[in-house]
Amino acid sequence: MSSSTLLFCVCAFFALAGAVGTVSARRPLRAAMALLAHIVALAGLYLTLHAQLLAAIQLLVYAGAIVVLFVFVIMLIGPASETSGSGRAGMVRMTSLVLMGMVTVTIAFAIVDTDPAAPRLPAGYGDVEGVGGALYTQGLVPFEIISITLLVAIIGAVAVARGKTAVEKQIEAKEKARAEVEARLGEGAAPAPAE
Amino acid sequence: MSWWIGVAPLLLLLGGGLLIMLADAFAKERAELATTTTVTLALSGAISFYVLLVDPVLAPAPELVTRYLATDKLGAFFDVVICLGAALSTLLAGGYLREHGLERGEFYVLALFSAFGAMVLARAADMATLFIGLETMSLGVYAMIAFRRRSARAAEGAIKYFLLGSFAAAILLFGSALVYAGTGATSFVGIAAAMAGGEASTKLVLLGLLLVVVGLAFKVSAVPFHMWTPDAYEGAPTPATTFMSVAVKSAAFAVFVRLLMTSFGDPLSTSAAAGWPPVLAGLAAVTMVFGNLAALGQSSVKRMLAYSSIAHAGYVLVGLGAAARVPELGVSSVLFYLAAYTVSNALAFGALVYAGSKGKEAVSYADLAGLGRRHPGVGLAMAVGVLSLMGFPPTAGFFGKYYVFNAAVQAGGGWVWLAVLGVLSSAVGAYYYLRVVVLMFMREPAQGAPIAVPMKSGYVLVALVASAVFVMNLGLLPSTVLEMAVAAAQELVGA
Repeated sequence: MSSSTLLFCVCAFFALAGAVGTVSARRPLRAAMALLAHIVALAGLYLTLHAQLLAAIQLLVYAGAIVVLFVFVIMLIGPASETSGSGRAGMVRMTSLVLMGMVTVTIAFAIVDTDPAAPRLPAGYGDVEGVGGALYTQGLVPFEIISITLLVAIIGAVAVARGKTAVEKQIEAKEKARAEVEARLGEGAAPAPAE
Repeated sequence: MSWWIGVAPLLLLLGGGLLIMLADAFAKERAELATTTTVTLALSGAISFYVLLVDPVLAPAPELVTRYLATDKLGAFFDVVICLGAALSTLLAGGYLREHGLERGEFYVLALFSAFGAMVLARAADMATLFIGLETMSLGVYAMIAFRRRSARAAEGAIKYFLLGSFAAAILLFGSALVYAGTGATSFVGIAAAMAGGEASTKLVLLGLLLVVVGLAFKVSAVPFHMWTPDAYEGAPTPATTFMSVAVKSAAFAVFVRLLMTSFGDPLSTSAAAGWPPVLAGLAAVTMVFGNLAALGQSSVKRMLAYSSIAHAGYVLVGLGAAARVPELGVSSVLFYLAAYTVSNALAFGALVYAGSKGKEAVSYADLAGLGRRHPGVGLAMAVGVLSLMGFPPTAGFFGKYYVFNAAVQAGGGWVWLAVLGVLSSAVGAYYYLRVVVLMFMREPAQGAPIAVPMKSGYVLVALVASAVFVMNLGLLPSTVLEMAVAAAQELVGA
């Protein structure tokens, strides 16, 4: 067994175990840690595919930033808050397991007879220079469009999360005043029943 | 003429969107964003309309661009449809947001960039641009649904659409990864070449294609991937609902057409045993029947229109599936249908926007009772809108349905039965469309029931008049748009 095959086997095992752990752990913090294991193992898998830059970015962005964000959120909500004992019946779980098994078997069936001949890689494939060159020459158009995707995401987040505007504050004040007036009128017309 | 004109609509939207963001940030008073946005969208659509109408000889675009973005007539046709739908939605927003105290500049920018994403999606010539365009479009739409932040309904609809949409996007991505594994190509042309060359692993490709179809079927809200539609349509502010039902659906169908016809037009992929036509036929049948039956039982007009939009996705799928046998006829019928559906739906939703005012939004059937007698103008607009959705001659919807079912009949075989099913289910649909008309003109509101009071807004009025003109124009003189659709279909199929 060559060293790269060994690396693949180890990483694949941890990636699978991490993925299963992420969806099956009942404590959110454990799920986040399992996700971290999965992400690190995935970075190892990228290494076996000669994608060094992608592996580094995977570690930096996903393990470094996104999992940390998850952990922050879990800590804010409270790590003790368990997943609500979901009323999912065993039937639903069984059905999804069976369906998942069917999809897995189908994909395995399709992959088995695929020609495993490795493609010839161009020199510098997967390192910083190679990826940069591909991104800024061949892939320039999608690269530029991605900047708009990110812009839309930012505007969307602002639109959903930003504070109340002046108009909205006005409306709220009016509604509050109206509710108060109505409450007072209601008191005058029919005194609240004594406790 | 330079090839730039092929991508000019996209660039115009980009520049316009950035300028509008600046205007919103620096102009203390509202910088009439609704007008600016609508004009930008209309100009962008007009460029593509000019390309379709005059058909100038363009220099071939560099491979750097065409590998990812098609600059053909199909793209131009959908530029026009998407920009028209988006422009009508922003006009409606101009009246609606102000009336309901939601006026914030982000809505227009989101609509503009979402339309940009939709146009990228419609022009996508590579799995990468397909996914990026889809995400750009969807992210904007998620935020537009959640725009009414104080409403729990809006939050529910947005989070449902967001979670299910992300899941569908993941399925689509998985599918395109399998297609890449099977063919070694991500560009639509490259996939077609690998399939034709016989070096592709057909099992992987067909499995990947199935997953991609699932992802796209989610976006066009075909049954059984429609679960999010009623809640998202109902929770969103009505102009956002309009945008979703016309622009998003058109763009998703555009890439559906392009992907299937460019990459998977080979005999194996279109075979009855393993290819996509039977899948689409099944989806179409279930979608038409379920959409129409579910729309019957609704008490909210907005939800009824949501289910009706599901049913319309079914009719388009009939035309798309028929394109496997009669490519030119099938594709052109899909294009015409989407154009007709865009203007009809914008009219119906526009009338619904116009019929309500602050605190008295018209959403249920009861709100509309007697509306046509009290306010004949709104009633007429609503009536024309729903009659066109129903497919009543001489409106746009009639010719849309006619061309789609005609394509199915010409395709022969099992497609004839699908056309029969389509006609039968649209007959069921007539019940709930006509119910709106009957309520508006022949009923009086119940004693003490809240009465919808129409708003006063020049924006909404312009949008209503414009969409009504387009509906009648497509119904009485369909030839111009139909010729454009046929030309776009010929270019796509011939290539």
